Amino acid sequence: MYRLHSIRKRYGSIVALDIEELTIVKGRLYTLTGANGAGKSTLLNILAFLAPPTSGEIFYSGKPVDWNRDSVGDYRRKVTLLHQSPYLFGGSVHDNVAFGLKIRGIEGEEQRRIVDRALDGVGLQGFRGRKARELSGGEAQRVAMARALVLKPEVLLLDEPLANIDRETTGLLESVIAALPAQGTTVIMTTHDPEHPGRLNGESIFLEGGRVVTL
Amino acid sequence: MDFLVSSFASALRLIGSLSPDVVDAVRTSLSVSAGATVFAALLGIPLGLLVGLSEFPLKRLVVTVLNTLMAVPTVVVGLVVYGFLSRQGPLGVLGLLFTPTAIVIGGTLLAAPIVANYSLASVRGSDPRIVPTALTLGAGRLRAVGTLIGEIRFGILAAVIAGFGRVVSEVGVAMMLGGNIRGYTRTMTTAIALETSKGEFAFGMALGIVLMMVALIVNLFLNLLQQR
Repeated sequence: MYRLHSIRKRYGSIVALDIEELTIVKGRLYTLTGANGAGKSTLLNILAFLAPPTSGEIFYSGKPVDWNRDSVGDYRRKVTLLHQSPYLFGGSVHDNVAFGLKIRGIEGEEQRRIVDRALDGVGLQGFRGRKARELSGGEAQRVAMARALVLKPEVLLLDEPLANIDRETTGLLESVIAALPAQGTTVIMTTHDPEHPGRLNGESIFLEGGRVVTL
Repeated sequence: MDFLVSSFASALRLIGSLSPDVVDAVRTSLSVSAGATVFAALLGIPLGLLVGLSEFPLKRLVVTVLNTLMAVPTVVVGLVVYGFLSRQGPLGVLGLLFTPTAIVIGGTLLAAPIVANYSLASVRGSDPRIVPTALTLGAGRLRAVGTLIGEIRFGILAAVIAGFGRVVSEVGVAMMLGGNIRGYTRTMTTAIALETSKGEFAFGMALGIVLMMVALIVNLFLNLLQQR
């Protein structure tokens, strides 16, 4: 899915990321671990095509990534990043989940059906009309997950999606995430939980000081 | 004290009787202020968003200039625009001096920096996750900015209302560029200044009350929108 070659990301004199070679295989689940400041979020932002690396080359689906504005827009429609504390737009839960669908021209009854199915999938039946800003942290996390899943992204990048939520919600989201590779979605998820790779049947990538460390 | 009470009573009678002079001044004030606010919004909102969302050399200087422009005295704006619109000025041929259009031009220049600064402050105070969230859900750059504007719409609306407040309450521009012509360019504020100097305190007070009511209605409208 991705091949990263000699990727470096600098902020001034600080090297936040320095990866010689990293390959992400399509349809697999990866957990990205490492201490705070190890470069996890920087890597996710690059993989999400939100920020280009300072140097190096990235191949996506076998083709070198072109960082010009139009091309990046195309990549972003295939890759979705879910932040640790996701931002929900003002308006209803439906407005949020349907945000990306509208961009893709999916409207009306079809949009409603997709939104309802996604909310069912994350255990939020009947939440469609609720105001997004009035949800609890766990509910907001699930709405953000539904908002990402309705897009059926080729790659779903998750930045600590299970931090700061209750055990019940964690269990539900873990099962949703674990099922994604079988549906063809490549998942890369940052976590501090050492049991996640095993529980989610994923492969582990460990970052230290911006470098990938082989365990 | 009797003077104030009787003047207040006379002012209410003038408002109640819909005195043509009061109605004319109110109508002129509202129309030129609305016009100036529309143009100030068209200039100020994109400018504020552009400065707020982009990084460029001398950005700090641009922000400082915008801040300074907010504090420019109205008579200075009136003076500069007068220079352009007067018969000998570069735009004198247009014959705009002492017309409502001249007040709209001056009002636009007064309000635009306010709208721009308030819009800029809204962008700076907005949640930094809005644009990346929209982008990662597939929005293009333009749509992501549109989403940001939607999320900070009350800040933008407050910017526009602050601009309107600046224009509707100022005297210098309306006096210098409008000429205070009865029934044509006489606004509430210029009428208050003129009538009070002539000793028509009750008339001035009537317009002052209407001006306060306009401010109250505009703010009530803003509050109503924010509650939705």
